[in-house]
Amino acid sequence: MNQPFKGKLSLVTGGGRGIGKAIALKLASQGSDVIINFFRHRDTAEKTAKEIQDIGVKAKIIRANVGDPAKIDEMFDVISNDFGYLDILISNAASGVGRPVLDVDVKAWDWTMDINARALLLCAQRAARLMEGRSGKIVSISSLGSFLVWPTYAAVGVSKAALEALTRYLAIELAPKGICVNAIAASAVLTDALKFYIKGQEAAHQQATPAGRMVTPEDIANVVFFLCSEDAFMIRGQTIIIDGGASVMAPFVSTPGGVNQ
Amino acid sequence: MSIEEQIKDIVAEIVRVDKGIIRREGTFKDINADSLDVVQVLLRTEETFDIEIPDEDAEQFQNFGDFVDYVEHHVAEKEKA
Repeated sequence: MNQPFKGKLSLVTGGGRGIGKAIALKLASQGSDVIINFFRHRDTAEKTAKEIQDIGVKAKIIRANVGDPAKIDEMFDVISNDFGYLDILISNAASGVGRPVLDVDVKAWDWTMDINARALLLCAQRAARLMEGRSGKIVSISSLGSFLVWPTYAAVGVSKAALEALTRYLAIELAPKGICVNAIAASAVLTDALKFYIKGQEAAHQQATPAGRMVTPEDIANVVFFLCSEDAFMIRGQTIIIDGGASVMAPFVSTPGGVNQ
Repeated sequence: MSIEEQIKDIVAEIVRVDKGIIRREGTFKDINADSLDVVQVLLRTEETFDIEIPDEDAEQFQNFGDFVDYVEHHVAEKEKA
């Protein structure tokens, strides 16, 4: 089997479940050893690590709240001591407080910004040192909420906008080190968490997407793989949108797939 | 100070309520704590007692009494180890 990432080491923050898990499994399937960072769900992280080991590559789990700078440092200390290098960083871990903008208090704002935006800054700073001379890749996972307004998404949407801006700055400043940095912004992704929230509305979501179905974690993982490959070498500082065309549809326009409203 | 008293202090500070209204049979909902408050209480408790409380376990707590018992049990286990 062709394994272009054989011998590489990837860190996926929030890699135990959902989108992070799909990314971790994809990178592993391409031959990369994978470090799964998790925070609140040890069981699922352990199960994902087992699935990765079954593929035939190394897997390690590290617990850390990426909203806490000291914990990020501890996590990278472990990676430095155990491996001494890193090839791929996927900044995926996210959290957020869903409230109308007038109800976002300082605590909710800081919590969301620290985990969703500042974590990329601190992880990238440490990762860049471990990527010296290794053609490193960094991909951050954003969301369409960085420029589209969704109900109660203000704090997260703003944090994702910061994440995308930081991705551009990192892309330029890390380019001389041979590190490629990009972001992915997806519309609502069909994870178990989302299935719970949209129960009964699946058809409406599908109809609002010209591609005819919702985005899956595997759709994201496939583009992460591409961005981490040498084929994407000349893509720098971009935010790649994965939404089946939903965000470019004008409102109230009929399509073969339905009506976008 | 007992573990129960220390946990009450943590909850009172984070949720910004009077310590006196936190009772073993009470819940976070009873003291109007939101989901972010709950996560922060869990984090502070983990750091204070150097234990790990996965969400899978925390979801089983029916009230503060369950929470306190869980922490006491894990602190005792840690001391034995």
